[in-house]
Amino acid sequence: MKKFLTFSIGLAAIACNSLDESPKAVIVSDTFYKTEKDADAAVIAIYNALNSAQHTLYNRLMQIGTEMATDDYEAGPRARNAHVRALSNLTHDASNDRMLELWRQSYDGINRANIAIEKIGENPSLDPARAGILVNEAKFLRALLYFNLVRWFGGVPLVTQETTSLTPENIYVSNATESEVYALIEQDLKDAEGLPAPSVGGRIGRATSGTAKSLLSKVYLTQKKWKEAADKSKEVIDSKWYDLFENFADVYATSQKNGKEHILSAQFKGLSNWNGNMLAGSSAPTDIPGISGDYADALHREGLLFESFEEKDKRKYVTFGVHYTSPVDGKVYTTHPHFRKYFDETVPASPYESSKNTPIIRFAEILLIYSEALNELNGGPTPEAYDAIDRVRARAGIAALKESQPGLNQAAFREAVFEERRKELVFEYQRWFDLARRGSDYYVTKLKAAGKGNAQPRHIHFPIPQRELDLNPNLKQIPAWQ
Amino acid sequence: MKKNYFLLFWLFISSGLLAQEPLINSRLQGKVVDSRTQEPVIGATVQISGVTHAVQTDLDGNFFFQTGQKFPYHLIVSFVGYKKKQVTAEASPILISLEEENQLLSELVVIGYGAVQKKDLTGAVGSVSDEYIKSTNTSLERALQGSVAGVNVTQTSGQPGGGVSIRVRGGSSIQGGNEPLYVIDGFPVYNSSVSSGVVSGAATNPLASLNPSDIESITVLKDASSTAIYGSRGANGVVIITTKKGKANETKVSYDFSYGLQSVRKKLDLLDARGFARLRNDALYDTNPSKGRYQYLAEEQIATLGKGTDWQEEAFNTAPVQNHQLSFSGGTRQLRYLVSGNYFNQDGIIRNTGFDRYALRVNLHSDISSKFRVGLNLSGARTDSDIAPSGIVSALISMPPTATIYEPDGSYTLRNPFENIFSNPIAALNERKNQSVSYRVLGTVNGEYDLSEHLTAKVLFGTDLTEGRDNSYLPASIYEGYSVGGEARRGFSSVFNWLNENTLTYTRSFSNRHFLSALAGYTQQSSQRQFVTTGAQQFINDVTTDNSLQSGNVPLTPTSGDSEWTLHSYLGRGNYNFASRYFVTASFRADGSSRFGKNNKWGYFPSAALAWQISNEEFFEAYSRQINTLKLRASYGSTGNQEIGEYQSLSTLTSVKYLFGDQIVTGFTPARIANNNLSWEQTNQFDLGLDLGFLANRLLFTVDLYRKVTRNLLLDVQIPYTTGHTSSLQNYGSVQNQGVELGLNTDFEKGRFGWTGNFNIAFNRNKVLEIGNDARFYTFGNYIVEVGKPLGSFYGAVTDGILQENEIDEKGKYTGNAIPKAGDRLYKDLNNDGAFTTAADRTNIGNALPDFTFGFNNSFQYGNFDLSVLLQGSYGNKILNSNAQTLELFNGQQNASVTANERWTPENPGTTIPRAKLDPAPVFSDRYVEDGSYLRFRNIALGYTLPKSWVSKTTLSSVRFRLVGQNLFTFTRYSGFDPEVTNGTTISPGTDAGIYPVAKTVSAEIGILF
Repeated sequence: MKKFLTFSIGLAAIACNSLDESPKAVIVSDTFYKTEKDADAAVIAIYNALNSAQHTLYNRLMQIGTEMATDDYEAGPRARNAHVRALSNLTHDASNDRMLELWRQSYDGINRANIAIEKIGENPSLDPARAGILVNEAKFLRALLYFNLVRWFGGVPLVTQETTSLTPENIYVSNATESEVYALIEQDLKDAEGLPAPSVGGRIGRATSGTAKSLLSKVYLTQKKWKEAADKSKEVIDSKWYDLFENFADVYATSQKNGKEHILSAQFKGLSNWNGNMLAGSSAPTDIPGISGDYADALHREGLLFESFEEKDKRKYVTFGVHYTSPVDGKVYTTHPHFRKYFDETVPASPYESSKNTPIIRFAEILLIYSEALNELNGGPTPEAYDAIDRVRARAGIAALKESQPGLNQAAFREAVFEERRKELVFEYQRWFDLARRGSDYYVTKLKAAGKGNAQPRHIHFPIPQRELDLNPNLKQIPAWQ
Repeated sequence: MKKNYFLLFWLFISSGLLAQEPLINSRLQGKVVDSRTQEPVIGATVQISGVTHAVQTDLDGNFFFQTGQKFPYHLIVSFVGYKKKQVTAEASPILISLEEENQLLSELVVIGYGAVQKKDLTGAVGSVSDEYIKSTNTSLERALQGSVAGVNVTQTSGQPGGGVSIRVRGGSSIQGGNEPLYVIDGFPVYNSSVSSGVVSGAATNPLASLNPSDIESITVLKDASSTAIYGSRGANGVVIITTKKGKANETKVSYDFSYGLQSVRKKLDLLDARGFARLRNDALYDTNPSKGRYQYLAEEQIATLGKGTDWQEEAFNTAPVQNHQLSFSGGTRQLRYLVSGNYFNQDGIIRNTGFDRYALRVNLHSDISSKFRVGLNLSGARTDSDIAPSGIVSALISMPPTATIYEPDGSYTLRNPFENIFSNPIAALNERKNQSVSYRVLGTVNGEYDLSEHLTAKVLFGTDLTEGRDNSYLPASIYEGYSVGGEARRGFSSVFNWLNENTLTYTRSFSNRHFLSALAGYTQQSSQRQFVTTGAQQFINDVTTDNSLQSGNVPLTPTSGDSEWTLHSYLGRGNYNFASRYFVTASFRADGSSRFGKNNKWGYFPSAALAWQISNEEFFEAYSRQINTLKLRASYGSTGNQEIGEYQSLSTLTSVKYLFGDQIVTGFTPARIANNNLSWEQTNQFDLGLDLGFLANRLLFTVDLYRKVTRNLLLDVQIPYTTGHTSSLQNYGSVQNQGVELGLNTDFEKGRFGWTGNFNIAFNRNKVLEIGNDARFYTFGNYIVEVGKPLGSFYGAVTDGILQENEIDEKGKYTGNAIPKAGDRLYKDLNNDGAFTTAADRTNIGNALPDFTFGFNNSFQYGNFDLSVLLQGSYGNKILNSNAQTLELFNGQQNASVTANERWTPENPGTTIPRAKLDPAPVFSDRYVEDGSYLRFRNIALGYTLPKSWVSKTTLSSVRFRLVGQNLFTFTRYSGFDPEVTNGTTISPGTDAGIYPVAKTVSAEIGILF
């Protein structure tokens, strides 16, 4: 009997597992952020918030969540999401789930950036130079995310530290003013100018000091800080870090990824363990045998964008596809214009597996920023302003503006730059930002001209998502959306 | 031998004690046993007729007298539950067998860590009668359906081997688990799937790996007094399953075989090709009138179409089901055995789906000595499932009838030719490999040692090993695999769950009036789950499917994982009764769980119960002829729920990827904010019960009233996205369930005729008391969780007729459409803001929880015939018929319900069905909330046993035939496939969206006993 008891008690004691959880397959936050590799992984996580799986910010979400509300795009027949259709018809409201996703994913990325800035910055065991680079990279990405947010939603809550507890003061963050948000963006980008130059190498796909300066010029431009915008874009141009590809098609060629014109791109690789560029599949035709496209991200024909391209414009049939070769029968089919920038000819049967990158910012835009800023700064176009835009036009194979339309006044030149931006940067998540920064009159006029009769002045912002207003009593809706 | 020594010892002590007795004329030693089982009857009163001298039998049924009486004299032997017996004692020793008064009250009921006689129960416990256990050979939970008041069973999928949702006294957790705890031969398991996530479709049911034919008894513990002994896992009720054991000197060899055919109860009435073509013409015309009325097909073409493809007809078939069961049992007093083997094979009513089970069991029990007993219960099984991929049923009903299964060149049509994308379901069913295989070994060994006459120690070890293998292949010939050139995936998962229980049981009676038993123990259980998945894409051809991943050009990123949990527990229980009149039970369990925050690892779960057997009171004797049993019970206690998965309190990091150029890199980001205070859900339950017995206790009536309140609900509280997170798991809010349960049992026999009946009905009312953050409600898809209202409430619009031509200006704003047109559906403007919007004008439009559920079982025997009829039903529950909503879009892109024929057209304005429209916005409204009440003949079985006189000429000892019909008749107003439908979650039950329908079955069985 005693033996029996001893035996059982002994067994019980041996077998005892601890009640403390020590997961083997997942890392716990407390034990992370110790080494340089940990720190790098914390920064990589921020890039992941930019684009990863389908319907992430730079993998189609900004197309269906913002660009639909412009004169160039509409929800095609296979865009079944009622929220996307509402945006395309400008009947969207604060309950729109695409806007909620823009908000959620942006703040998710910002939280990741805040964590990286805090944990890497506070860690004395890391090499200070290396840690400084990673912190500045995180600041660049935080600036990019806030720059999008402030343009979409105006004065959004400014969160600059990781949320670690759920007390009301931690989670009920009030709206900041737009200028407060811009102040943080500018400060972050100024810090990020300290990143290594692109010429240093080894930073393929990552932010550099050139990326930071380029984005800063765009931030100045958006705020109508013309002088700063002109200076900063000139600094980028003069650095000779970047140049235009001679051939416009190379901007999207898989062989030229992260090339001389690309300042920062959303990175894709289909049929691998990464993601294909969704825009390729969602814009591909549905009526060609063997091409299983979805024609959901469609051209808004009434906006006359396709027609506005001169036939000789080399961009026209890089941007649009009207002829597709069927991978099944080898025949060439003609169809109405589809966006083709990301259609990957190597995988016609599975267009979602496109390996083409989407530019976030590229050198052609820097030239156009410089051109626009000079025009605004000097009350009209300077020769340098003409030169900059004409570099872009020359590459497209169309007449230089200084020859075809010399002596434009400020307003006409401004319009010429915007039309050039529209054609050069179409399907690169730019149009809504360009329309909105011109103000509500411009936006409404352009959309009504394109037959989108529901456009209203308030549409130069998106409503702050209802979910956030419901959960955060300190958050206020944009006045025009109240 | 030992027993004899013990007796002698006892004799010696007794004689010592009784040495003062003046006159001893006889010594009588005897034993009282049950006439049927020959088991000792403990605590029976033996009285010498005419004098006051009475003794009580001990634990072995023995008694002893020294008396002045001389042989022969009369003894009166009595015990509750047995017929009083008068015998004449001629000499010592004497064996007295008592006949049970009836079967209903004396049966032993297995409860947590023990067993009691039904008459001694203090808690609310339901036993599942044999008829129910026999009615299923698919999975044991089906036996619970309709069998016990307050246990609501719904199949979550008709997929063979598919899941079941069980609610004991209503669902109380919003986001934690709500399924009961199962205790199989002492081993607690949750019925959670171990899938690696590689296969698509309804989760397979792990309990389907247990062979129902091996089950001896099923008990459902409902109130806190009986479940609190399971502490942090008791809140959702406990189902205790005991498997069959061999009996000494009763060698049995039996073989049972059944074969049946299953079919779908009904198909949905959908448009044929002609009807669909006209609908599509109308939808296209509606959007683009300038292109004319026949944009799809001209009338002449439509006339030649015929019926087109009937996708349901192509997929649903009559499917066979068969079961073979072979078992051997018997043994000696020292060693008793049961060995059984089972093969079960069920094809699904949807083609190329099915389930196979191969199961073996060995149960061994041995009395090593009179003090030391050991037992082994061991089962092993393999199950194979061919699973219907998710979305198949939706695709079957949505595919246009004008689409064909094959293209003219013989290849599969890849997908719906129109704008709505879904793939060809027949191609997927035929070509897609979607298999799940599992191996499970569940075994317990235990040793029991009598430390003294009253004290027994028991040690139990058990393990539950599960290995799962998922195989998936999407061939390039079908849409799912087309764009990736074929995709193969494999997943492996394994769960190692072990248990150790150490208990001491003390049983003693004093002065023949005080009965005491006590239990104390320490238990520990721990489980580790691991999985690996891997795969490849881009195959040259589809020959090797998932068997040669290296043949694919693109390997997929493998995944693996590991999670563990541990539970340490101390438990104790005391039972006391005085003269079988007053009963007290108190129990306590302390559970330490790894799953909770570091500040809240331990939880404490006490309970107490009182019962008063009024019918055993002397004052009641006057009524005892009319009322044989009258017992009042009351209990109160606390139980918990810890079903939230592992590592939920920690700030764990998620790994994410990014691409720099051509290089894939890995990052880490926190998945959640840490919560060190995370704790259990706590349920406090009060139960009041009454048991009544009439007609020599052949008619038993039980009623229970209960109220249970669950606090500290484990809720994923939504937090602002500005935190970088979506939600945080917190203990917040509370839910109440209260109700009444009635049970009626009968057991009559007269000559060749016998009847047993069981009727039960349960009324449960659920109410959300609090959801935290001072919130009054939150919505969840088509559901609303609202304080003061039950869970499972549908949240949608209220329809208000159809917009007519002349009403567009006046009422157009109530359609919710930007550009209203005649024929649009109108909705009520509930907030009176002058327009209908789905954001502002939704309300509570019904509830998925039933007003009551009931089961009614009648079994009749007449001579060699027996008939059993099991009815079961649910009343007052609503179903969200999501299939119907999809089928009434009338967009001409996908097939539609035949109600499309009554759709609004300028020629048919007086209708409630809206017009055809290419681009409708789906609005969830009361139109799609249907009455889900039903009454079902769940099982009808007619049996015939060959007369003994025929069988005795052969080597067989019994042959029995049965004809069985399952789900043969169902009475319901529900328009979908079947009213027994749920998606299984407490927050959103009762949605019928592409769920694999439940089958009806006709089968024949033969049972042979050698």
